[in-house]
Amino acid sequence: MNTGPLIKLEHIERSYPLGKQQFTYVLRDINLDVDEGDFVSVMGPSGAGKSTLLHLLGMHDFGWTGEYTLDETAVHRLKPKERTILRNEQIGFVFQNYNLLDDLTVYENLDIPLSYRHYSKSERTALVADTLDRFSIVGKKDLYPRQLSGGQQQLVSIARAIIAKPKLILADEPTGNLHSGQAEDIMRLFKKLNDEGITIIQVTHSETNAAFGNRVIQLRDGWIVDGQKGKAA
Amino acid sequence: MLQEIRFALRQLVKNPLFAIVGILTLALGIGATTAVFTLVNALLIKPLPYQDPARLVLLFQHFRDQHLDTIPVSPPEFLEYKTQLKSFDKLAAFNTSTYNLSIGNAPERVAGALVSADLFPLLGVQPIRGRTFRREESAAGRDDVVVISERLWRRKFDRNPRVLGSKLIADGRTFTVVGIMPASFEFPLSLFNIPGGQFGERADIWQPLGFTDKEMKERGSRSYAVIGRLAPQVSPQQAQAEVETLVAGMRARFPDNYPQTDSFGATLYPLKEQVIGGIKTLLLILVGAVALVLLIACANLATMLLARASAREREMAIRVAVGASRGRLLRQALTESVVLAIFGAGVGTLLAIWAIELVKTLGTQTIPRLGEVEIDPTVLLVTLAIAVGTGLLFGIVPGLAGGKPDLTEALKEGGRGSTSSRRHNQLRNALVIGEVALALVLLTGAGLLLKSFVRLQNVDPGFNPKKVLTAELSLPALAYPDNAAQVKFFNELLRRVGTLPGVTDAGFTTILPMSNVNSDCSFTIEGRLMDATHPGPDEEDRIVTPGYFRALQIPLVAGRNFAPGDKEGAPLVVVINHALAQRYWPNESAVGKRVRIPFTGPAWSTVIGVVGNVRHRGLDQPVLPEFYLPVTQVPYSQLILAVRSQQDPRSLTSALRREVQAIDPALPLAHVRPLEQVIADSVAPRRLAVVLLVAFAGVALLLASVGIYGVMSFLVVQRTHEIGVRMALGAQRSDVLRLIITHAGALIGAGTLLGLIVALLSTSLLHSALYEVSAFDLPTFLFVTVALALVAFVASYIPARRATRADPMIALART
Repeated sequence: MNTGPLIKLEHIERSYPLGKQQFTYVLRDINLDVDEGDFVSVMGPSGAGKSTLLHLLGMHDFGWTGEYTLDETAVHRLKPKERTILRNEQIGFVFQNYNLLDDLTVYENLDIPLSYRHYSKSERTALVADTLDRFSIVGKKDLYPRQLSGGQQQLVSIARAIIAKPKLILADEPTGNLHSGQAEDIMRLFKKLNDEGITIIQVTHSETNAAFGNRVIQLRDGWIVDGQKGKAA
Repeated sequence: MLQEIRFALRQLVKNPLFAIVGILTLALGIGATTAVFTLVNALLIKPLPYQDPARLVLLFQHFRDQHLDTIPVSPPEFLEYKTQLKSFDKLAAFNTSTYNLSIGNAPERVAGALVSADLFPLLGVQPIRGRTFRREESAAGRDDVVVISERLWRRKFDRNPRVLGSKLIADGRTFTVVGIMPASFEFPLSLFNIPGGQFGERADIWQPLGFTDKEMKERGSRSYAVIGRLAPQVSPQQAQAEVETLVAGMRARFPDNYPQTDSFGATLYPLKEQVIGGIKTLLLILVGAVALVLLIACANLATMLLARASAREREMAIRVAVGASRGRLLRQALTESVVLAIFGAGVGTLLAIWAIELVKTLGTQTIPRLGEVEIDPTVLLVTLAIAVGTGLLFGIVPGLAGGKPDLTEALKEGGRGSTSSRRHNQLRNALVIGEVALALVLLTGAGLLLKSFVRLQNVDPGFNPKKVLTAELSLPALAYPDNAAQVKFFNELLRRVGTLPGVTDAGFTTILPMSNVNSDCSFTIEGRLMDATHPGPDEEDRIVTPGYFRALQIPLVAGRNFAPGDKEGAPLVVVINHALAQRYWPNESAVGKRVRIPFTGPAWSTVIGVVGNVRHRGLDQPVLPEFYLPVTQVPYSQLILAVRSQQDPRSLTSALRREVQAIDPALPLAHVRPLEQVIADSVAPRRLAVVLLVAFAGVALLLASVGIYGVMSFLVVQRTHEIGVRMALGAQRSDVLRLIITHAGALIGAGTLLGLIVALLSTSLLHSALYEVSAFDLPTFLFVTVALALVAFVASYIPARRATRADPMIALART
């Protein structure tokens, strides 16, 4: 039973070399706890390090220093392969540009994360059918992403993110490419998923979207300037 | 896996141009490989069509001092081998023969063989109907039985089973058909490794061989080949040792017949080795060539896939983000490449079927077992394996390169994945360098062999083969029982042929140059010592009519040609060639000298003339000493007619048949073909190898050009933004052209350099297949290098030109 925070970051730094002995820092001394069931919004101006933080949490990026614990597993001590396994077990992703696989149908886009996680054929069929039903997209299952609207694509993208039952969803400006009506639908969906127990961390520029969460972290020039400890209202 | 296959198929449908170029590229590479493997399988790998063929050996004797390395055996010698050698299960003697068949209206000459009754059990082949020979059928008077081929049964008897026991008339004799051999059965096989050992046509009739009492007394009359099956547990070395012991005994017991030195002996040769012979080197060269073509095709596909991997970087990143492991991405990539390769193999197999048919038409008559070549399940299985292997080979590099996408960059809105593109560029460059190098190696090899072949074609054969038609005639002993009847027939035919329009000269010979048939005979030179320790000369013999020299335009160097007066009963005469004159009378005139030739009896024959040398055994073979005897003094029942005409010699065919039929309606004319074709056939294996190698080199050049074109096109697209910036900053079109061409030039230069080094190291492997061309022939190296560089330059110039037309506004806007 996990008694501590779901995510614990301690003294995390991310830099890129500029030249000999010179670096530019994108994240500086990040210390952050995220509890299970939190809905966190990461905000800040462009270049503040929001997406970098998200990719770091998602284990897309390994070039950082510091300590990162996810569900009591010390990520910083894991080998790349072990990180991949942990990521597949715990994390689902939602991107601003949906990042659906263009050449796969909606059904296949939902099926593929399960096939990568070695679910059996019957389990996959059942889970995809459930998810299509849950997101009310059964009628779209044989369509390709290009045949869907932006909102529908993001809906599929979220369905794909949760289909393998992750504890954590990382969303990078999930409504950035949507008009306001669609954006609100998507945020309601996130809120619903959060209410069902999934922890969500989203990067957003929108105060409205942030209002769906229970905590906001402000980043400036790689530093957390607000929301580092404790919970915001 | 099904999911991956489905996705791979969808990728092909989605990118039809990529799919078509990829499939065609692979079809060329895999098709060439399949075609060559089909040849290798049929000619080198497939066992001979006999039971346990590895234990079959041929026995040939030799007289080394007389440069006679593989000569047949005489009946008394065969009987000694057969009865005394314990190393063999069975030994059989055989000789080729021809039969004038009288079935239906048109007489036909077919090839056959006289074989020991033991031959069929020795080979372990059963007839499909009837039986083979009984031992008692080897006796004179009992040998009027024949076994026929399935081919003849089908062709002449419409597969009628009642042919067994029926009568067959050949050469005026009546034979009873007792058995039919299977379609796959072929004997004797052409012995490719032994000059003159090619038995010509495939046999359709086998007759039991029995030796007459007269033959059993002639130890020196050697005309039978011997085949044996080694006894179980006996190695070829043990058998050879036993043969040598027996030969030593023969030498001791018959001192008048054998020199008391190692000059005479007998050697065992594995049958397969003799059948494969020289074709093995040519096939191995072709295997090397197709391997290069396949590698170039792989490099091409790898560059194409790398370009596509760059375009699909975002897709790979998404797959990783939703949980794909690196292994899973690699599996997907390899599935796609293998699926592509299997499609390529499908089209390639169709190309191979077509190519094999082409190859068969180029060399069926002249390359042993070529008729058996076909694409069978083994070939298809190997093709599938090659396809899978090829798919893995060209898929692995882009698969590994695409399996490490930079997620942070690739998943960003508008991310371009520049880091991995740079990595891909380096790989693409390396692949193009490799392609150019491999193409250069192949082109050099093809160039050397082509030059060698051209040199060979330009060799003077010593006669003029143009506008000469040849045809074979065999007079049956029953209808033409004596010399007078035979000579009468030949003279009458010559008279009639001489009156045909356009015919300028006509003559007969026993053996045509380059027909892969030889005959030699020992003789005595007047005034020179000859005994067991001083063996007499043994040289090539031909029996001709005077018109033969004129028909072939073999020049008279000294003395005179045969004349009508040189007939039976007149003083014996002989014409020799220049090489024979030089060998035995190097510093004096040979004309007037006398020799004694065994088959003209004890009288001396006078050398009346010297003619020019003829390259009898092949354009690439040295000239041999030869002597010619007149048909009038040495009658012969099987002769070859040579007719020189002022027109296309083929147009004489029907007139020739008509004239033969007018004299004897039952006499067939066989092997009617122009002399030029005889020569062409003699170089058929070499020509086949050159044709295939040049074709493969052409394919390699095409693939390498496509590869360069593809890479440069991709580079131009990739650098559009940079080109736009440069042009916005004032770069001229010539600057842009120079930029791209310089890049291409560096790749071509590096590839050419590498190719030259590899070619220099590898062309020495071709040494044995080259004729009067060095493996390091500078003009060939220079020519192919310049040609390849030129083609490569054109291939890169097209995309470079396109780059110069870039509109800076559009180029910059595209970022």
